[in-house]
Amino acid sequence: MKLTREERDMLVGAEGDVVAEAMDCLVQFGDAFGAEQLADVEYCHYPAEMAIYAGSVEDAVDYAARGAKVRVDTTTSTLCCDLERPLSTGIPEPLAELQARVEHAHVSMGILDTYTCTPQLLGWTPNFGSIIASVESSAIIYFNSALGARTNRGGLFTRFTAVTGKYPLMGYLLDENRRGTHLFKVTIPAERLQAYDAWCALGFHIGGIVGGEVPVITGVPKPRQDWLIGFGAALATSGSVTLFHIPGVTPEADTVEDAFMGMQPREIHEVGVRELDTVYEKMNTIPRGAQVDFVTLGCPHYSLEQLRYAADMLRGKKVAEGVRFWVCTNRITRRQAEALGYVRDIEGAGALVVADTCPVESHMRQSTCREYGMKTPNVEAMVTDSVKMSRYCGDLIGCKTALVDTEACIRVAISGRWE
Amino acid sequence: MSRMFKGRKVVRGSAEGEAVVFPGGFSFLGDVDMDTGEVLVAPNKGTALAGKVLIYRETKGSSGGCVVLMTLAKKGLAPVAIATVKPADYNLAEGAIMAKIPFVCDADGELLGRAKTGDTVKIDADEGSIEVRQLIAS
Repeated sequence: MKLTREERDMLVGAEGDVVAEAMDCLVQFGDAFGAEQLADVEYCHYPAEMAIYAGSVEDAVDYAARGAKVRVDTTTSTLCCDLERPLSTGIPEPLAELQARVEHAHVSMGILDTYTCTPQLLGWTPNFGSIIASVESSAIIYFNSALGARTNRGGLFTRFTAVTGKYPLMGYLLDENRRGTHLFKVTIPAERLQAYDAWCALGFHIGGIVGGEVPVITGVPKPRQDWLIGFGAALATSGSVTLFHIPGVTPEADTVEDAFMGMQPREIHEVGVRELDTVYEKMNTIPRGAQVDFVTLGCPHYSLEQLRYAADMLRGKKVAEGVRFWVCTNRITRRQAEALGYVRDIEGAGALVVADTCPVESHMRQSTCREYGMKTPNVEAMVTDSVKMSRYCGDLIGCKTALVDTEACIRVAISGRWE
Repeated sequence: MSRMFKGRKVVRGSAEGEAVVFPGGFSFLGDVDMDTGEVLVAPNKGTALAGKVLIYRETKGSSGGCVVLMTLAKKGLAPVAIATVKPADYNLAEGAIMAKIPFVCDADGELLGRAKTGDTVKIDADEGSIEVRQLIAS
């Protein structure tokens, strides 16, 4: 890779060993994929170190202790517990105490501790064409697709980009890699695509076919913002999609021709109601009539509007005995929801408004439950409107799952039974 | 009987071990137990990844994959080398660079048809070579 003078100085330690080490990894990374130079980055969404990953928190504390400072606006992704109400999620106390140690480390590095998978809902909406570095597959695909900002699927190296402001110019940062590869003609009637869970199921089906490439989708009604967030999250769960185009909806391609940059799609697929229903069949493993002990809303984290909707549905109702019902959001939106009385209505019904985390990221993974001698699987049957939640909980928590619309999730929470 | 396949270096180094082969996608988040390093999904459910050469078509799933790979490596439960038929996933490449796990991608498509779980595989990332020694004559 060709480095500027300033970058070479950073690499050889002119700005300290933290920066030098970060540059060495970034250069190695760029060379692995044939990048010609480094790009300047304006925003990072950073992988908050989770206590359930052995050594992760200690690593964060050591890194901050070495004097690492971020050079760009940096927000953080989710943790394994709710730092403002540590024990509310049932996490073992030692794990909660360990997890709390990252907050001081992040703040001392100049990081904005948002602890959410949807920073875009808090106003981090980088401009069209801007270069950023993000973790969290649902945020990555939203930044790329809905905003036209540019990021690859970031991981641990997002830390190195945050402290240097650099990332190799490769992958989805380059125009030619943002071209559509597969065309998906959706023939599902518009009224079947008027809910969050339906867009999740659609994304899950398409992601399973397209893998890590770029789908272009036609024939869908105009989605709400939260539907698009769920759609992207699903694409990045069944596949590893980083970018999608919906001509007329997403900003980068007004027409199908634009999306394929004048080339032919490599594959063309039709998506009808049959394909949509198979996703539900795949995700619905709870026997009809069986008891449900967990309901989750808020994957990815809920917006204020979604919290308002849940509050309206739950006001004056009662969640059934033995059902844990989490409504997940970020700590800042929860504060707004408290001020507006939504948290009182939701929690008055017996549900819990959770911030900073969610079931998938929590202590309820089988590996963690075994380690701390907790009931395994910790959840028997979970109902949710998010396909990302149902996929990962089924495997990581080991529970039976069901994917259904938001209203049905709330009905099940009240009845305690999967009808 | 041994066969050679070509691929492209992602992370330098070489290693040898028993193969664990997935014909389709593999996601480090969700498909492997972080505590035991055992595979949670077919067709290799229950198989430990420690010391193995992991071969699969393409990476899928969340961007948490590289953290899981790093955590396995810290516990000595990570594969000794990785080969994928599709181009390497950036996210996973970060984990492999940090954990110093030799990684070859864009491998010859025949590899998945030929290599079986249990075969002995030697990966030399710098040479971009994948040598498969059949356990049983197939």
